[in-house]
Amino acid sequence: MQISGLRYGAQVLGLVDFPHPEFLTGGATNGEIRDLLARYGKIVAKPVFYSAVGKKGKAGLVRVVDNLPDALAAKRDLYFTSLGEGRRKVQANGVTFEAFIPSEIEVYFSITESTRLRRPQFTISPWGGVEIESLEQDRIHTGWIDPFIGLKSFDLTNALRDTGCPPRFISPLVQHLPKLWDLYDSYGLSTIEINPLRIRREGGRYIPLACDIKAAFDQDNPASRRIGLPETIFQTDISAFEQEINMLRTYQGQSDVLELNPDGSILPFMFGGGANSAATETLGQRAIFASDFGGNPPYEKMYEIARISFRHHLESANVLLLIGGKANNTDIYVTFRGIFDALRDHMTEHGHHPLYVVVGRGGPNLVSGMVYARDILDSLKLPYRFFGSDTSMIRTLEYACRVDDWWTLEGKDRYLEVTA
Amino acid sequence: MRQLHTKPFPYYVGIYSLEELVTSDSRVCVINILGAESRKVTPVSHEYSGGNVVAGVQYGREGKLETALGDIPVYPSVRDVMKAGHRFDTGVIYLPPLAVAQAVSELVSSNEELRRIVIVTEKVSTADSRNIRVLCQEFGVDVVGCNCLGVANVWDNVRVGGALGGDDPQLTLRKGSVAIHSNSGNFTTTMAEYLLTEGFGLTTAVSSGKDVYIHFALPEFLYAAQNDPRTKAVALYVEPGGYYEKMALEMIAERKFGFSKPIVVCVTGRWKKDIGRSCGHAGALAGSGDDALSKERWFDDYFGVPCFDPDAPRVSRRGVRVASIQQVPAAMKAVFDAIGEQPDFEPRGDLNLKPWLGDNLLPLPEPLDVPLAEPPEPHAATLREINRQVGAQYLRRSMRNTSGASRLDPDSMVASLHGRSILELSERSVEENVYFSLAKMMPDAKDLPTVNLLLNLFLKLDDGEMDAVLRARANDATPNAALASGLAALGDAPLLARTRRQAALIIDLIRAHGIDEKTAGYPDAFHAAVAESCLHDDPGAPCCPGASTEVTEFLRGEVLRSTKDCTALKVCQAILRQAEAEGRHVRDLQAFLLAAMTVCVFWQPMLLKRMSRRTVEDAAGYLFLIARQYAYAVIDPSTNTAWQRLTGPLLSGLTGSFTVNAFRIAFGRDPEDTDLTEFRYLIGLTLSNGAGTISAKGAKESVSARNHLSMVYVGFLANTGLAHGGNGFEAVRFLLRYFVDSGLDDPDGNASGVDLSALADRAVRDYAEFKDRAKAAGNLRVEPIPCINHPVFKGSAVNIDPREDFVRGKLREAGVGNAFLDFYHHLVKGLYREGVTRNVFCVNIDAVLACMALKLVWGDLAAGTTDERRIADLVFTLFLYGRAVGVTAEIADHRDRGTDLDCRTPLSELEFVL
Repeated sequence: MQISGLRYGAQVLGLVDFPHPEFLTGGATNGEIRDLLARYGKIVAKPVFYSAVGKKGKAGLVRVVDNLPDALAAKRDLYFTSLGEGRRKVQANGVTFEAFIPSEIEVYFSITESTRLRRPQFTISPWGGVEIESLEQDRIHTGWIDPFIGLKSFDLTNALRDTGCPPRFISPLVQHLPKLWDLYDSYGLSTIEINPLRIRREGGRYIPLACDIKAAFDQDNPASRRIGLPETIFQTDISAFEQEINMLRTYQGQSDVLELNPDGSILPFMFGGGANSAATETLGQRAIFASDFGGNPPYEKMYEIARISFRHHLESANVLLLIGGKANNTDIYVTFRGIFDALRDHMTEHGHHPLYVVVGRGGPNLVSGMVYARDILDSLKLPYRFFGSDTSMIRTLEYACRVDDWWTLEGKDRYLEVTA
Repeated sequence: MRQLHTKPFPYYVGIYSLEELVTSDSRVCVINILGAESRKVTPVSHEYSGGNVVAGVQYGREGKLETALGDIPVYPSVRDVMKAGHRFDTGVIYLPPLAVAQAVSELVSSNEELRRIVIVTEKVSTADSRNIRVLCQEFGVDVVGCNCLGVANVWDNVRVGGALGGDDPQLTLRKGSVAIHSNSGNFTTTMAEYLLTEGFGLTTAVSSGKDVYIHFALPEFLYAAQNDPRTKAVALYVEPGGYYEKMALEMIAERKFGFSKPIVVCVTGRWKKDIGRSCGHAGALAGSGDDALSKERWFDDYFGVPCFDPDAPRVSRRGVRVASIQQVPAAMKAVFDAIGEQPDFEPRGDLNLKPWLGDNLLPLPEPLDVPLAEPPEPHAATLREINRQVGAQYLRRSMRNTSGASRLDPDSMVASLHGRSILELSERSVEENVYFSLAKMMPDAKDLPTVNLLLNLFLKLDDGEMDAVLRARANDATPNAALASGLAALGDAPLLARTRRQAALIIDLIRAHGIDEKTAGYPDAFHAAVAESCLHDDPGAPCCPGASTEVTEFLRGEVLRSTKDCTALKVCQAILRQAEAEGRHVRDLQAFLLAAMTVCVFWQPMLLKRMSRRTVEDAAGYLFLIARQYAYAVIDPSTNTAWQRLTGPLLSGLTGSFTVNAFRIAFGRDPEDTDLTEFRYLIGLTLSNGAGTISAKGAKESVSARNHLSMVYVGFLANTGLAHGGNGFEAVRFLLRYFVDSGLDDPDGNASGVDLSALADRAVRDYAEFKDRAKAAGNLRVEPIPCINHPVFKGSAVNIDPREDFVRGKLREAGVGNAFLDFYHHLVKGLYREGVTRNVFCVNIDAVLACMALKLVWGDLAAGTTDERRIADLVFTLFLYGRAVGVTAEIADHRDRGTDLDCRTPLSELEFVL
């Protein structure tokens, strides 16, 4: 769950009254754009990406314009532009026109969790506006934050002094930056990055304005829902299948899925984070999705998950794979019942589908679960091989891949002959 | 702020050596001890550890958790635990995510002796996790987790936290010299299992969790492992995300602490580089620089050797990285060789492919055709035992106010039975619906004749069987009471009990000898078992009540002639042939043959886990009791020759449709096609109105009292009556008022010859006047016209009951008219037109039932062979016909899933009024 840019970032910043430039969205009229230009001289046109995206400037996706025709041309060019490649490719969906803020410096500021310090940390540099990794070490300062006290002014002051920030800008920055900790802590953020902060002079005062924002939200923290951001902006990179499954997500047994290759040939139910990692790596492109159904999900949930999975993906699958290590407290019988009842019901409703079933699992009530599955598969006349905890999981995964190859080559035809 | 920190760490670490992380002296308090997960896991941990859980907390409750070592007391808060005098140094938390931080705060504030907390809960927010850390650092408490399965000290036989090692930890957790630290709880146990195959056991295993914050992470783990004299080597499972490993290796490189023990590490998650969202482990999502490739590089640089190649093993004394978890044992063996150490014991097992179960449907090519292996004990014994089981299995629970059979959609008010709407089911025959209510699927075409045969056979009454029913009728008992009196006398009829036993025997024989559709010849053991348990030598002996009769011979012929491809049938045919070949006789032959037929028709649904074995064994009983209710329900037994023939001793009419026979019993004549259509709708639409109806409740409560099936149906019947099932006659009476002198010949609406609109207008005027009179008399509550309006389908300009609309549409499609139903539609329009109602009321589904019933008896009424009283009984009976079939599903469901007395109303729900 991530956002970038002022389109929605302004709403987030507004929660703590953190200043940001005035801006218009892509639906602004020519008159409004002209008016903005008149007041600020220049405006910055940027594409709106729903997820957290960096390097827009580097990619030539930030345009500073000083007239309406250029602004409209930028809108046309940027509205549906894309950035990145492969799974990392993101599509823009709109533009913003942001007031250009003249500033002597550009400040970088971020808060994230540090696994080294095991506490939240802030990073600040008055030499921002560029990739932070490209700066020399003496121009960046990283400091830890006490979660109970928050971002301390003296820490910020010392950090800005140490990194060479001109003194006149220190006080306004120290005045506003702690608000970002309030935002971070109170609204369930896991990362916030402002780059750049530009500092506008208004009379005798300096006001830091967040000219870009990237924020990620902890999906386990319900506080982020208080912001009121529309759900749709987090759903563009989620498929319909993932959405349906994730609605079943509770702390009581995971139901995480990640669609990898809808045209894949193995439909894998993975149990446990470890199995998720190992299986996804071994199966590669064959895996239709990555999943983690560990944590002892109850029957009804497993049944629903399986039904949804079959409805979306059974048609393209050669192999149905259930894989996990030796479960600690997941009742294998319950989970297998859910999956195989769902398979039975799916085939009753949608017709028979030739499929090879491979199971590699261990844990409580394993044999009960296997026998239950066996009886259903025998009745459905589907072939299968079940491996227990005395077979290596990786070997089982490799076996499933070989079965998949064989099924594609000739196995399915042989099956259809035998069952004709 | 002064912070605790423990050299060489910039934070507090309370553990010097792994052996002290948890010990036999650790005393544990479990928070949310009575929650679903802890309830299963804590007793196992407690017993494995020799009883280390001193108390538990369940907010708002007191109680106990039973274990084999005695009960663990449970208190409402940690303060109460302390007040009761319990001392503990370790807390385990099983709470939901939002409550975890509070519980940590409660633990550290209440108990100064607290040293460790294990947090099993997953999906704790990062914000809470960091706050937990700050708090525990301040109080000097080590935390393991979140989202972990705890810690096991195998040397001390202690397990704290989650279910490491599963529900039988002794099998997997063997004493040895390897310590495990794993980001995956599952893989902690899996690695322990794998290491056994090269003879390695464990010292301490830690499931660290893989959230963003790992509170007992690799730096402190390695430090403690180095200081642990029991540990000779370390096995790690690492996922992307976080710099814990880098920090640990840097500290070693910078000599912040010495570390000389070898490490075997598996890093997974290369594919996560391209993913923007986590799946499962919240922290296993790398940013930049802490992805899987980076971690692999950290370790490879540390080891100075490339990733382990099992074909050309090369390791360093520092250890080696493996590409997959299955290589951990081989790599550990190579590492131990490099440091001159021996494994802990002889290798146990191997990780090669050993399929426990496989189909015999599809031959596999050579490399895939791995032979089946016997599972290790105790799984092998479990498999043998379970192989005898077959059919659906359910976890028992209270089924009061709960049904797995029926549902009522609150929006459409359409009930469904086993997922199919009764509108759909009303287009099926009675026999199909009887089968469906038990099997949860429609019968195969090949099974339908057998279902009909059995139902028709069970219509045949014994001498004197109608006496109780007739006596009840003579005493003006309502139809439900009359039927109930007959059923109650059946008890657990000997034939039913014997058929049940024979069904069990047949199923046992099939499962015990592993017979399935692929079995070509039966083993000798099978034939020996048949000879022992099914056959005898003297048909006249007292233990053989199934001596050959006409029925038995008929059934034997049916069974032997059948060519259905069914395992159960073939086995039963084999038994009959074996008897013949050996010159012996089948014990209790009639019951055996009935069981053979019922097991055969329900074999497939049982294999598909749609039916429990118990329901299959009882199936003959269900069919028998349904058929008996239909037989008892005859209105005029003395004049109904069709009924006399169907229930008499002659074996005729057995192969026809049970629906047709049911019609004959109800109406004393053969049905026309249109009659059958309406009759099917009548029965189908009354199958169910959800489990909340009092008739369904009556059946369920009788199951809850553990009655025989006959008495369960009595429970159902007892809860029908003039307000439920018998109230359909009110509508019939209303219709008769207008139609009896209308000159209506043929109630098929197409050519009724009656001006229905004018008739309806008359009814409108009558009702308007009635309403005015009632108002004038001060009656605020005016008796409504039966079968119009509905509490759900109202409020629109024109209201429609979708169920009535559906049926009317179907009748129209079939060219079947109904003048009474048309009359009703004129009536509701007229009521609105004359301002009696504010909008056009719907004609509800009860009208359909009343109109169809009246149409079916119209001819008899006109001929004077029936009267209002008989029609009232008939309408009630038709309701019972349908509902008996539908309630069968509820009965079977409750018998499978419910518990004794689960239908009791708890004291808290009872009220007393003066």
